[in-house]
Amino acid sequence: MTEVDLAVGLLDHQLVDCNGRRCGNVDDLELSLAGEPRVEAILVGPPVWRGRGRLGRLFASLSRTPTVRVPWPEVEKIDAAVHLRKAAPEYGLGRGDDRLRPWIERIPGS
Amino acid sequence: MKKLLQIALGILAAIGGFVDIGDLVFNVEAGATFGYQLLWVVVVGVVGIIVYSEMCGRVAAASKRPVFDAVRERMGFGVGAGVLIASQFVNLMTLAAEIGGAALLLELLAGLSYRGLIVVAVIGLGVAIWVLPFDWIERVFGYMGLCLLVFVVGAIKLQPDWGAVGHGFVPHADTGNFLLYAYFAVGLLGAAMTPYEVYFYSSGAVEEGWTPKDLGLNRANSMIGYALGGVLSFALMITAGALYLPKSIEPQFIGTVALAADVPLGTIGLILALVGMLFAVGGAAIDTCLSGAYNVSQFFGWEWGKHRRAAAAPRFTLSWIVLLVLAFGVVMTGIDPILLTEYSVIFSVVALPLTYLPILLVANDKAYMGRYTNGRLANVFGLIYLAIIMVISLTAIPLMILTNGGTG
Repeated sequence: MTEVDLAVGLLDHQLVDCNGRRCGNVDDLELSLAGEPRVEAILVGPPVWRGRGRLGRLFASLSRTPTVRVPWPEVEKIDAAVHLRKAAPEYGLGRGDDRLRPWIERIPGS
Repeated sequence: MKKLLQIALGILAAIGGFVDIGDLVFNVEAGATFGYQLLWVVVVGVVGIIVYSEMCGRVAAASKRPVFDAVRERMGFGVGAGVLIASQFVNLMTLAAEIGGAALLLELLAGLSYRGLIVVAVIGLGVAIWVLPFDWIERVFGYMGLCLLVFVVGAIKLQPDWGAVGHGFVPHADTGNFLLYAYFAVGLLGAAMTPYEVYFYSSGAVEEGWTPKDLGLNRANSMIGYALGGVLSFALMITAGALYLPKSIEPQFIGTVALAADVPLGTIGLILALVGMLFAVGGAAIDTCLSGAYNVSQFFGWEWGKHRRAAAAPRFTLSWIVLLVLAFGVVMTGIDPILLTEYSVIFSVVALPLTYLPILLVANDKAYMGRYTNGRLANVFGLIYLAIIMVISLTAIPLMILTNGGTG
């Protein structure tokens, strides 16, 4: 078993899906403190930025994207990034890129 | 053999890509005002950019992380967001200054109206970013930037007083106007260590998939490439010092810079100088524009990269387009590009510690770097430069106000 420092080794790290696509950061963690403390889920999205300083609140207020909750067992491995078992859309991650894609695809050579 | 060629080509691109509008303006103004006296400051600046680009190239190769991943992971969301806003503001100003400079140079080459040429420059840059793959951007603009070597020939042909040039490399402050001297020193350091250079360098290393095997390439690019690139800065300052100081000319216009090659070398020299400056400034504009997109995408965890199709990284693509359009708006207001350059360099100095501190922290972290953490030499230099950067970031704006933006 490897030790991970949650604050430095996990929080704010890059999420990558099973296709190698970057699909958000670990914006917050859901912990269970009943009994043995453990990480229940990774939380991603603007609403959880509210708990992360004044600029976090400002950025959160500019976006309507909901929070995505990725249950901890979905994490396959942690190296430079946090790798997830499935593709981003299955978790609801990377929606901003998916919504914008049709517009970018209209430009020739995209 | 192939590896050697790759390293040599990388070094050439690094030399040609070293100079940007900030270097052009500050080196020439410093040379025209103080002769060769500030050459030693350029050495300090060049060593600084070598130390930190080597470090973040190594971080990228060993930990697979570009600068803004490190910023957010080590400084958290709140502070990281502040760094993001500051760096994007500086990137926007720098990009606007580079575009304005490119338009001025096109004006000298083609003789159309300045505003019309801003449009041409922006469209040209947008198409280049859209069409060219990452390594081509680096090479095309880097190699064409090598035309700037004409200033080295020019500096030698002008037969400067080499004793005085040599004295300029010795740190000293022998002047009646110390504040102005200090202002130019800060500007030269800021121009040599512009933050977008490390953002672009590290994201580029991740784009090209560097691994610890590429650490030799990293060292060659940063140490040899930037050191030789610094020679171009020396040449600009020596040329300006030999040509303008005796005649008390104040080069307030970018054309004066190119004339420095015309006097000793004639029309061919002038054209090479203008083409070299155009590609140096254009390449810097592209680096700055992409840096802005890298930073915001990395901070928010979006997909990013020029090695992907534009449609595979939509928000990254939109980010650089938006930045280019905003910069276009800034230049079109008619603000003087030279003034804009000075402001962008001085403000970038203020933001520098926020960029360099997280790199230094991550480069010392075994969990990220494994056995490639900073050695003693990198740490000694890293700390010295962090201290220098702190000092200049605190003094930059007061000096700009006290010297009335370098006009005395």
